[in-house]
Amino acid sequence: MQIEICAFSGAKIYPGKGKIFVRVDNRSFRFVNGKAESLFLQRKNPRKIHWTVLFRRMHKKGISEEVAKKRTRRTVKHQRAVVGASWEAIRAKRNQKPEVRAAARAAAVRDGKDKKKADEAQKKSEKAKSANSAARGQPKFSKQGAKGAKVAIANTSR
Amino acid sequence: MVGTAAINKSPDLAKGVFACNWIPSPTTTPNSHLKMLQLKSILNVVDNSGAIWAECIRVLHGGKYARIGDEIVVVVNKAKSNAVAAASGIPKVKKGDVRHALVVRARKETLRPDGRYIRFDDNACVLLNKQGEPLGTRVLGTVAGELRQKRWMKLLSLAPKVI
Repeated sequence: MQIEICAFSGAKIYPGKGKIFVRVDNRSFRFVNGKAESLFLQRKNPRKIHWTVLFRRMHKKGISEEVAKKRTRRTVKHQRAVVGASWEAIRAKRNQKPEVRAAARAAAVRDGKDKKKADEAQKKSEKAKSANSAARGQPKFSKQGAKGAKVAIANTSR
Repeated sequence: MVGTAAINKSPDLAKGVFACNWIPSPTTTPNSHLKMLQLKSILNVVDNSGAIWAECIRVLHGGKYARIGDEIVVVVNKAKSNAVAAASGIPKVKKGDVRHALVVRARKETLRPDGRYIRFDDNACVLLNKQGEPLGTRVLGTVAGELRQKRWMKLLSLAPKVI
């Protein structure tokens, strides 16, 4: 559906309405009604006729209403669960007090330290044990001796 | 009349939308848009046949009035000098010749099937020969699309603009 614009008033011309006027110089003008056509033929200036679109646009008529109607879109924050964490868990974490968080962190650090210490102690004891057992079970070899070199006889006196 | 100073300043108007383009001619009398074409109506001849104005002396479809796309009988009221017509290689048309003609524009508005009206600024015709073909080889200015319904395809192809 083609909607045309009136050459004088600037109004929309819907199908089935209006009149086309072809002037001597082959220019065609479309008018929405006889009023617009008549004023055009009288050579009136649409900028001086108060109800035309041209005049109203020139004098900023009816623009404030349009501005009021226009509203900017605002982004809305929406809170919801993500893959691994339910919304309750996220909220609990978010609402934690800083002291609680610091305490938790300190506890975690302390735990880590304790665990490390315990691990080290255990490792040490194991190493000692294995060293003892090795010393007890086998005669002492030097590396060269193992390869068939002459084994130095251990001194029994100075 | 609107102030001419304002007209000259305004950019739209400077394009000639409201410029006065009045051509004094008997075909555009003040109230001629109220009437259809009939006996004694004077039309512009918009082809290169050499005729300029022609007067209707009969409407051929049997009715009293002619509209766009109707054939009429005209008498040539004013013609170009013979030298001009001879140069264009077309049979000469003299003042006083009686010819058939086809109405291609009319000041009386015409109702289109889609509900719109179309109206032109002048009454215009092209001359036809005895076989009912256009006498001239060119058509000047816009012609109405109503001719399409009446199978005047040759004329439509000659016309620079069809509305």
